[in-house]
Amino acid sequence: MSLIHIENLSIYAGMIELLAPISLTVEKGERLTILGQTGSGKSLLAQAIMGNLPRSLHSQGQVSLFGRMVDNAERQAFWGTQISMLPQEPWNSLDPLMGAKQQLEQTYRMVAGESPAEARQQAAYTLALQGLQDSGHKRVDQLSGGMAQRVAIACAMAGGAQVLLADEPTKGLDVSRRDQVVQQLLSQSEQGALITITHDVAVARQIGGRMMVIKSGELVEQGQANDILTAPKHPFTQALIEADPKNWNEAEGDTRHGEALISAQDLTIGRGDTALSKHLNFTLHQGEVVGVVGDSGCGKSTLGDTLLGVHNAMGGQVKRHSKAPRHQWQKLYQDPTAAVSPAVSLRTLLNDMVALHKIDRSRIAPLMQQLGLAEDLLERNSEGVSGGELQRFCMLRALLLNPVFLFADEPTSRLDPITQREVSQLLVDVAKQNGCAVMLVSHDPDLIEKRCDRVIRLSA
Amino acid sequence: MRQLLLKRLLQLIAVSWGVGTLTFILMRSLPGDMAYRIAASRYGMDAVDNRAAELVRQELGLDQGALAAYWQWFTDLLSWNLGNSLVSGTPVSESLWHMLGHSLLLAGAGMLIALLIAIPLGLASAYWGGWLDRTLLTVSTAMRAVPVFVIGLLAVILFALEWNLLPVAGFGTPAHLVLPALTLALSLAAISNRVIHTEAQRVFGSSFYEFARLKGLSPWQAFQHHGIRNIAVPVVAFLGIQLITVIEGVVMIESLFSWPGIGHGLAHAIFARDIPVIQGAALMMGMMFVVLNTLVDIACHYLDPRGGRIA
Amino acid sequence: MLRLSFTQKSGLLILALLLAYALGAPLLQSGDATTQNLSQILTAPNADYWMGTDHFGRNMWLRLAEALQLSLMMAALCVLTSALIGVTAGVLAATRAPWFDRLMDGVVTMILALPGLVLVLIFAAIVPGSFWMLYVAISLIQWIEYFRISRAITQRLTQSPAVQSSQLMGFGEWYIFRRHYWPAIAPQLFTIAAFGAANAILMMASLGFVYVGIQPPLAELGLMIVEHFSYYSDAPWLLAQPLIALALVVLACQLMGRGKSL
Repeated sequence: MSLIHIENLSIYAGMIELLAPISLTVEKGERLTILGQTGSGKSLLAQAIMGNLPRSLHSQGQVSLFGRMVDNAERQAFWGTQISMLPQEPWNSLDPLMGAKQQLEQTYRMVAGESPAEARQQAAYTLALQGLQDSGHKRVDQLSGGMAQRVAIACAMAGGAQVLLADEPTKGLDVSRRDQVVQQLLSQSEQGALITITHDVAVARQIGGRMMVIKSGELVEQGQANDILTAPKHPFTQALIEADPKNWNEAEGDTRHGEALISAQDLTIGRGDTALSKHLNFTLHQGEVVGVVGDSGCGKSTLGDTLLGVHNAMGGQVKRHSKAPRHQWQKLYQDPTAAVSPAVSLRTLLNDMVALHKIDRSRIAPLMQQLGLAEDLLERNSEGVSGGELQRFCMLRALLLNPVFLFADEPTSRLDPITQREVSQLLVDVAKQNGCAVMLVSHDPDLIEKRCDRVIRLSA
Repeated sequence: MRQLLLKRLLQLIAVSWGVGTLTFILMRSLPGDMAYRIAASRYGMDAVDNRAAELVRQELGLDQGALAAYWQWFTDLLSWNLGNSLVSGTPVSESLWHMLGHSLLLAGAGMLIALLIAIPLGLASAYWGGWLDRTLLTVSTAMRAVPVFVIGLLAVILFALEWNLLPVAGFGTPAHLVLPALTLALSLAAISNRVIHTEAQRVFGSSFYEFARLKGLSPWQAFQHHGIRNIAVPVVAFLGIQLITVIEGVVMIESLFSWPGIGHGLAHAIFARDIPVIQGAALMMGMMFVVLNTLVDIACHYLDPRGGRIA
Repeated sequence: MLRLSFTQKSGLLILALLLAYALGAPLLQSGDATTQNLSQILTAPNADYWMGTDHFGRNMWLRLAEALQLSLMMAALCVLTSALIGVTAGVLAATRAPWFDRLMDGVVTMILALPGLVLVLIFAAIVPGSFWMLYVAISLIQWIEYFRISRAITQRLTQSPAVQSSQLMGFGEWYIFRRHYWPAIAPQLFTIAAFGAANAILMMASLGFVYVGIQPPLAELGLMIVEHFSYYSDAPWLLAQPLIALALVVLACQLMGRGKSL
């Protein structure tokens, strides 16, 4: 008896097909990974299996769970005890007013039907198993993203479900936390089955098992994860795998650097009264690309603000060796939509800057061409262009100012993997050609390793 | 929390100072020989002579310089010496307590009925949506477009004048409370049922609520453990904002139904230019407002452990 | 450019019609709103008096127009004044020295300590029947809403990447206000202004209703409602006219201010 059997399941919004007919079977003890880019319809597949599609959508085809054909209403009876689902963004999936342990305890009591004392014991045991024994009383706003996700996994499994559907379980997590979450998912799946939905090739590789690749609502490839990841057949799968920073070409390791530009001497950075990183010593040179890595909360962004003089150092010194005026020390932001005013067209914003600094207009066209920006893009405002285009527009603005130093704060983390690869390469190339020093921040050590000449590690 | 309470204390002081100063200006800006006029209104036109006027002059401190009078006025206020009514001559503080009781009865009854109407309707319209939601939206919008005294007038016309079910105005029997309380309740419920609707919809559509169901809780269990409290937090915080509607409603409704509360007293005193009563009634309303706000703060603090209030 | 929803457009349409009536009515019928004609009291609408006459035989067509003019003027003045003061103070409080912010916070706390209507009542008592005193009192309460919203938005934006980015590029404060703060505040302003207008009109009518607002013989909606109430069984149209006018003008404002829900 297979745990899940689906035949020709398709999903529609009115008459529009969002997911083409798909069939799959999951047996006991099996792991299935569904890989695809954001917006490819893979989350809908999980919701259709669970039976909690938004009301505006409807599905066609057959879903059998545990050898029985079931409709949506019948499936609700399986929730928690037979099949469970982990929604995206764990910090939204826990009750914001209730402690973590209380929520877990409640699940043991009400879903698994244990006595209050048993439930309390079980909850304490499960949290201890995850190394969260000290965080049981904390609410979701006091937990880190990774901890919240592990509590959510524990809650999802507390009812004794054999099958777990995990929808983007690692979205927004640091690499070290990501690995912990994946480990927990794997250990849960030993008793039953695990279906993971992800856009992250690295996660797919770690989980292994069987794999299906979905591109804009259509299945393009399926088979064993190992086979697909080593020898992808479909061009889309190839592109996805190449976009994983692990598979990028190495940086050339350029060691020809110009003069010293800015240095930190015994620098301590922090926000408010809390020091985030202490005793930093380094010097940046012209034309150098330096990576900054570290877990979230260790002050990567604060380091940038301190070097740029926007934020005061808590101790030590930042010394600028160059006399370049302030507007030549620039920054690229993690979320370009938050960094560009949506009130007027991009052209107006560009003209504002050109007028302010009397920039030679003839420089714009060639630079735009190099950055792959089409002229008509400028007629739209920041909400009318894609994240990748907007980030390249930000690069255009920054580069027109002839920067000597560019602090790039996770400039590609909000972009899809294929665009991420292009934009980060472009950033490094263009900056080098213009003799500008770049400090590139990322939570992904692979990306930093492939793009930077050397690396600064921050630890909390 | 301590900071909030401190802020409320500051507001209490501000109320006394603001009301005291405004009524002082009011007192000084009355045209003509005030003492003579007040004596006339108190003892009757025929009984007034210069001696009576002189007495009143002393009583109100009108024979002093402005600054000294202001100081005297203020220290009197702080020692809760609110003076005597210019119209009846009785001490203001005595009648205030009497009025406060009536106002609190009206406000309490109104808010209770409002909650009994708004909570089920708000939750039901969020849960089922559809025609119920659309009807409620239309009715609420229409009710909010008419001022509370118009709701009261229509209620009087229907229930008292046309159908003769309830008394038009006055107080004494429970039947007298029905129309004023209902009027207040309707005007409050028109807004709060939509707030409850919005908040309930937010919670029902949130991913933590969906997850509560997915991990195996029944719809009722999910509502009990994850719905009620999460809906209550913003709704109670909104109650703080709605207190203004309550107090303003009380002023209008009491005047309309001749309900002998503070609002009625205030409007009456302004009309009769009875300044000590104006001061006392305004002070009492301000204090009632601040105290009720403080209670809402405490409730919010208790309900929402994250601290911080939305408003 | 503001993109208006269907609801907002219907609000705007009702308001435009009321405004056209308030300004155009005196052009269509001669006479004035306060002339009494005791031989023609409580007449039903007819060819001479399109909306009948009141208990003093005054022409309701003209009286209602005058009352609407007064209400709309009050609303417009209050909105303009309080928006100007509120936004300026809000942006300054968020971007200037902390002491200014704390000072403004103290002022706001003080004013909010009294329910708005009570404050307006006391002001109205100082100079009875004065339009200008009401205007000062209502504006004194209403600027706070603009202040709080613009301060909150500006405060959030001063920390945003967009503003930091503009600062790093060397743009000045006026530019940042024009490109970042104002575009974020403006859409909210429209909503507050619409509800503020409705509140100003309601406030003035409420005061008229308890006889401490605008004094007779001037035409004012709240005052008319209470005056006409005694004649509700003899002349129901007389009570209905100011009631409907008041409800319509408030509804129009509220519809304009409404986004989707509530």
